[in-house]
Amino acid sequence: MDIRGSLRYLDNVLILMIVFSLALFSLFLILPLADMISLPLAFTLERLVSGTKTGYSLIELFSDPRLFRTYSTTEPVKISQLGGATLVNFIGWNFGVIPNTLIIASLVTLNTTVLGLVVAFIMARYDFRGKMLMRVLAYMPLLMTPFVNAFVIKKLFSFDGLFSYIINSVIGLPLKINVDGMFGVVLTQSMAFWPIVYLNVYSSMMLIDPSLEEQAENLGARGFKLFRSVTLPLSLPGLAAGAAVVFIFSMEDLGGPIAYGFYDVLSYSIYSNIKAAQNIGEVGAYVGALSIVLLALALAIFFGIKRYVSLRQYAMLSRGGRWIPRVRKPKLVGSLIIYLVVLPVMVFTAMPQIGVFITAFSVRWSKAYPEGFTLDHFASILKNPDVITGLSNSLKYAAIATTIITVLSLSSAYVAARSRLQTLNEVLDMISTSPLAIPGLAIASGYIVMFTSWPFKDTFLDPLSIYGPWLLVVLAYTVRRSPFATRVIYAGLQQVHVAYEEAAMNLGASRLRTLATVVIPLLGLNILSGALLAFVYSIAETSVSVTVGAIVAGQKPLTAVMLDFLTGGRLAGLQLAAAMAVLIVVTQLLIIFVTNVFLKQRYAFIGV
Amino acid sequence: MTRVSLRRVVKRFGNVYAAKDVELDIAKGEFFALLGPSGCGKTTTLRIIAGFEYPDSGQVFFDEEDVTYTKPYERGTAMVFQNYALWPHMSVFDNVAYGLKVRKLPKEDIRRRVLEVLDLVGLRGLEDRYPLQLSGGQQQRVALARALVVEPKVLLLDEPLSNLDAKLRIRMREEIKKIQRTLNITTIYVTHDQEEAMSISDRVAVMNQGRILQVGTPQDIYFRPKNIFVATFIGKSTLLQGKVVKKDADRVVVDVGGEARIAGKLASDSGIKEGDDAVLVIKPEDFTVDPPEEPYNAIEGVVEFSMFLGSFTQLRMSVANQNLKVFIDPKKEVKPGSKFVIYVKIDDVLVFPRSEEVLEVA
Repeated sequence: MDIRGSLRYLDNVLILMIVFSLALFSLFLILPLADMISLPLAFTLERLVSGTKTGYSLIELFSDPRLFRTYSTTEPVKISQLGGATLVNFIGWNFGVIPNTLIIASLVTLNTTVLGLVVAFIMARYDFRGKMLMRVLAYMPLLMTPFVNAFVIKKLFSFDGLFSYIINSVIGLPLKINVDGMFGVVLTQSMAFWPIVYLNVYSSMMLIDPSLEEQAENLGARGFKLFRSVTLPLSLPGLAAGAAVVFIFSMEDLGGPIAYGFYDVLSYSIYSNIKAAQNIGEVGAYVGALSIVLLALALAIFFGIKRYVSLRQYAMLSRGGRWIPRVRKPKLVGSLIIYLVVLPVMVFTAMPQIGVFITAFSVRWSKAYPEGFTLDHFASILKNPDVITGLSNSLKYAAIATTIITVLSLSSAYVAARSRLQTLNEVLDMISTSPLAIPGLAIASGYIVMFTSWPFKDTFLDPLSIYGPWLLVVLAYTVRRSPFATRVIYAGLQQVHVAYEEAAMNLGASRLRTLATVVIPLLGLNILSGALLAFVYSIAETSVSVTVGAIVAGQKPLTAVMLDFLTGGRLAGLQLAAAMAVLIVVTQLLIIFVTNVFLKQRYAFIGV
Repeated sequence: MTRVSLRRVVKRFGNVYAAKDVELDIAKGEFFALLGPSGCGKTTTLRIIAGFEYPDSGQVFFDEEDVTYTKPYERGTAMVFQNYALWPHMSVFDNVAYGLKVRKLPKEDIRRRVLEVLDLVGLRGLEDRYPLQLSGGQQQRVALARALVVEPKVLLLDEPLSNLDAKLRIRMREEIKKIQRTLNITTIYVTHDQEEAMSISDRVAVMNQGRILQVGTPQDIYFRPKNIFVATFIGKSTLLQGKVVKKDADRVVVDVGGEARIAGKLASDSGIKEGDDAVLVIKPEDFTVDPPEEPYNAIEGVVEFSMFLGSFTQLRMSVANQNLKVFIDPKKEVKPGSKFVIYVKIDDVLVFPRSEEVLEVA
């Protein structure tokens, strides 16, 4: 159909929805990023054309020893003596900001892929005692304890932490271990992110028609051969999506680098320069250049994976026949692997979250493990004006963002599902899912670049104006968390037959009336669970919260307050932050419970 | 009551024509059926009339008014969908009342009219039920009531009975016909079932590949098909090919091979001459085992296959190396492999010039 023909199907409401979605994403996603990119690009162009150096260009990126080094300033593993024991320090390398970021992201992706794939395979294909426990353990790292879990892991793996204590004092070996630096970051992120791979691969595996594997078995493939030749290739879409998300999350993570003081990574460099820029009033081309690198890597992966995954859209849902998932009991070797390797590793990765809970209720953590039981930390955070302000700010921001998200997601999902403008639908689909892949720190620096200068300077959007940054934080939450709701609503729209809407319009109902009386009531559950998801993820947002959101003390959201408590050298700061994390986790669990039990929706998880 | 006219309507999806120069004139109060195989474009034509699709070119008129690009909610049609599209979150009453609420009628009027129409379709008393608590036939009636209650200019029915079982289908089509007669609404009915189309409508349009092949009364279409597609689609006719050996006014004799010659009636003014290729179209039920009144053909062939089907026996006969489908009296016993003579009146044999279409159909 030609464009002119398709335009005839538009009406005022559809046009409004299209304009609203595109305007919001343009103004608060695309333009800030473009503006941020333009400054270093202009300097680069100037330098290339006239040879003059007027500002920080992309060329400097590659000659800056902070960013790129051909040598490491640290040895990956160092052995020393401490109190009559051998201390093994796992430190990792330091090749400068950009190589470090890539090394960390690659190692984390590798670790999470291996663990995620193994667990997904076991969960999808085997039935054994303790499966339910493993399922719960696999969800543990997904409980949102911003920053705190990283600090907990650091404590567990320091030379005087729980692990050294167990090896040295409980088992009695003259050996202590200390994980720090790059390896600390890798450890923290691997423990936190592997369930993302697991969930994506698991859902891929559950979609494989059992007859495909049976056919291969029937032709003589078994064991590893069967896995390698059929199961794994058919799970690749989930694997690729999960791995891509992990890579992007790793690059943008701040918790690990801050906890370990490993500052030579892109995320921290951008963060610290935005913090510094609050004083001088502008973000230089330097942050712009760093953000370009972060954004370029993330987008390359996002688009690479999107193409790849769509190429791999095997028709796995064949019709007819029986569909009994191939679940069987593990044999001896399998049982040994499950109970002696996989289960302990999963318990291990759940420890940070368990640790956060224990910490929140413990009096002190000065030895290898937390001691005593108390509710004082909860009492004191609820009396602390900073925490109360942060909590109410977070609730307020998340509530407003969720309201906008509901309208935005309904608009963009409805247009993408129902309009006849093929190209527009694809563009809208791409833009509305891209925030999943765009690092929040890039958005934060884009906002500061764009909204502190003409024509926004001193308006209510300018974070440095007397109005403060709160509105920008709300809009950042809106843009960043809208994909969660959009995907749930879009999935719902595909279940609602278009004839329901046609029947209403046929009887004289306008588009708006049709939306209000037919579409929204039928999508009610999807809209509600999408909104709840967006709400809880907004509360746990960190990247924009600790940068743009931290500009004015009274407007800080909860996660920024938590970071202050963790890094401010305050007495019992870790316990107090852990108590705040418990509040967030309880909110999250409540929402998971409501969406699962009352709304009968599967809790949606992260994937490209 | 509204007259509906389509003028040279064209609609393409990719390279496939769903409507190709469709011309239709549907009179006020007429019950009109669009009949054709699946994918022939009949539903698309209906959706163009409803305004869910806009044609690539051509025009749609309601009386004198050009509604080609009018939004569906401004047309005043009412449609019964194939899957009924009853809103699951509304009661029967609310489903039926919807169109009246949109028209902002006073509450008591809405109540009165909804109950009236539920009476008409025999659903009085079920107004508080929800669609999922109803049987297929009841859902069908609600969908019909929802469309009728707004007193539409044009009533559109898209395969409304295809989800019902055979018995209910026949009862519902009688009811629809009766209601339409009572209310006298211009009605357009889409179906792929020729029996349904013929039994219910004043006129039928047969469609294939986006084109209207013939428009006429059910009798016209059945007894006087204008081309081979219509002839074979209606009445499951059987074909014989041959060469014209003699032409005398509209009486034609065709040599179908060997010594067999069959006389028939020329189906249309096609300028067929002696020596031309021709196709004979005969309805299987027109064959008899005893000679009918003159003039008739006696055709000898070998019975290859016989199938008892209750109300008749179906034979496959080989006549001059061509297959012939024949229905005969079920009490007559016929042995496969035996020679057999059947009779058919000359007026029941339709002769068409041979065209490429034959191959397509056969």
